Amino acid sequence: MIDTVREIETPEGVSLRLRAAGALPRAQAWMVDLLLRFAIFFVALIPLAAFGKGGNGLAMLVMFALLWGYSVVCEVWLGGQTFGKRALGLRVVNADGTPVTWLPSVVRNLLRVVDALPGVYGVGLACTLIDPHARRLGDIVAGTMVIHVADLPAGQEIPALTAVPLPLVLASDEQAALVEFAERAGQLTVQRQEELANLLTPLTGQRDTGAIRQLVAHANWLLGRT
Amino acid sequence: MKQERFVALHSREWDHLQSWLNALDRQAKRTLRQEQALDFPASYRRICHHLALARGRGYSHEVTERLQRIVQQGHRVLYQPPAPRWHRVIAFLVAGFPRLVRAQWRCMLAAAVLFYVPALVTLVLMQLRPELAHTVFSSAQLAQFEKMYDPANAQIGRSSGTDLHMFGFYVMNNVSIAFRSFASGLVFGVGAIYVLGANGLLIGGVAGHLTAIGYGGPFWRFVAAHSAFELTALVIAGGAGLRLGLTLLSPGRQRRGPALVAAGWIGAQLALGAFAMLVVAAFVEAYWSSIASLSDAVKFGSAAVLWVLVLGWLWRGGRAGRHGA
Repeated sequence: MIDTVREIETPEGVSLRLRAAGALPRAQAWMVDLLLRFAIFFVALIPLAAFGKGGNGLAMLVMFALLWGYSVVCEVWLGGQTFGKRALGLRVVNADGTPVTWLPSVVRNLLRVVDALPGVYGVGLACTLIDPHARRLGDIVAGTMVIHVADLPAGQEIPALTAVPLPLVLASDEQAALVEFAERAGQLTVQRQEELANLLTPLTGQRDTGAIRQLVAHANWLLGRT
Repeated sequence: MKQERFVALHSREWDHLQSWLNALDRQAKRTLRQEQALDFPASYRRICHHLALARGRGYSHEVTERLQRIVQQGHRVLYQPPAPRWHRVIAFLVAGFPRLVRAQWRCMLAAAVLFYVPALVTLVLMQLRPELAHTVFSSAQLAQFEKMYDPANAQIGRSSGTDLHMFGFYVMNNVSIAFRSFASGLVFGVGAIYVLGANGLLIGGVAGHLTAIGYGGPFWRFVAAHSAFELTALVIAGGAGLRLGLTLLSPGRQRRGPALVAAGWIGAQLALGAFAMLVVAAFVEAYWSSIASLSDAVKFGSAAVLWVLVLGWLWRGGRAGRHGA
């Protein structure tokens, strides 16, 4: 449940990493959609008032379309994003990572009825907390999931230093850990950087600031810089 | 190969594809007409290869994540589902839907029993013991029913409102009931059973009460025509809900997950078909059923034609003819 990344193997043989969206951003997107639908409904009421009693019927048709049709139409035509989901950077995708199609979208939006009970999305909330990919019941039956569109901010570029070759051969995962340290050091406090770098004093032979610089220099070498 | 050299070798191609994909997000049609679109599949596959290499060689996140972003965007474009086509809607309504209903005949039969048996029982009970009406309905409700179907009315089936008003009301009300009965079937079928039974009881009760007090004429003249679509659609939506609940209870020789996805797929199609039927029903109910001035022969004749059409459509629609299909 902590790791929300779902790996999907594409026909090309590489794995796509999709990050499942949890209950909170989805609830926010739903709120945006709800407000938007209210706004559309009330704006539509103004011209409909001219029709008198028949306008009531048209207003009910508008309400019906907003209640049952809005999400499906948006998801199918806007690449899996209602306006709320677009605002929050979410997207509905099929199980294979492609934008949601007609029938799955209909299923997940009809089954909203079950997820919305009891209270406000009680079943849906419980289900997103239990499911490893944070899907609600409608998503499970439709075979869809809601993902974050944007990636997490990647590490910064490794600061360029004169490359220093490693004194010994490191295994590939150890090399990767070293490069990752150099990439992400900018996001850590200086104290934490020093603490981590000091673990490798046997390798660098230095402590604190010197150790950090030495590790970054090694990382430069690993990347192939001169 | 060291990472820096790998990036230096290929980063121009990556930027190229990335900018094309970004342009595609903004102006889909114009970008697809560019010559570069022809190169897209090959270029996309090369970059997939680069991503696999980068991961295999343990390059830093800076590179793998950049490639992963391009691949994810490209995957969406290359494998995007075909656009929905309108002629498939017609093919579905004419052939696919009746076929699907017949394929699920056990659930449909169960739904029909769950709906019609309570309806008929209350209908008969109301004739034998008319005072039962007061235990099922409140007196305000009874007064409203009686007002709607008063033989003295110019229009039957409504106390006020124009045709258009009632059309909107019927669509909103009936389709919501049908959709809910499908969706709530997911709760082990309980929701669908409840909606079917409760509506059966309600409709049977109203019919029985009005017949018992002598308002049966206008009532049956009103409901005969559109009930062909309306009640059948309600039964179908309920049957789809039962299918969903049954699959959850006994998925058969499949795992629950895939079985539910399959049932949801079928159920959504049935619900969409029921939706189409209910829109027709609402149209008939608002514009034809409410006319009081037509003679009984026209009213009941048209109703019989509609019932035969609906049942015939569900029974024969989409069958392979002599030409084979």
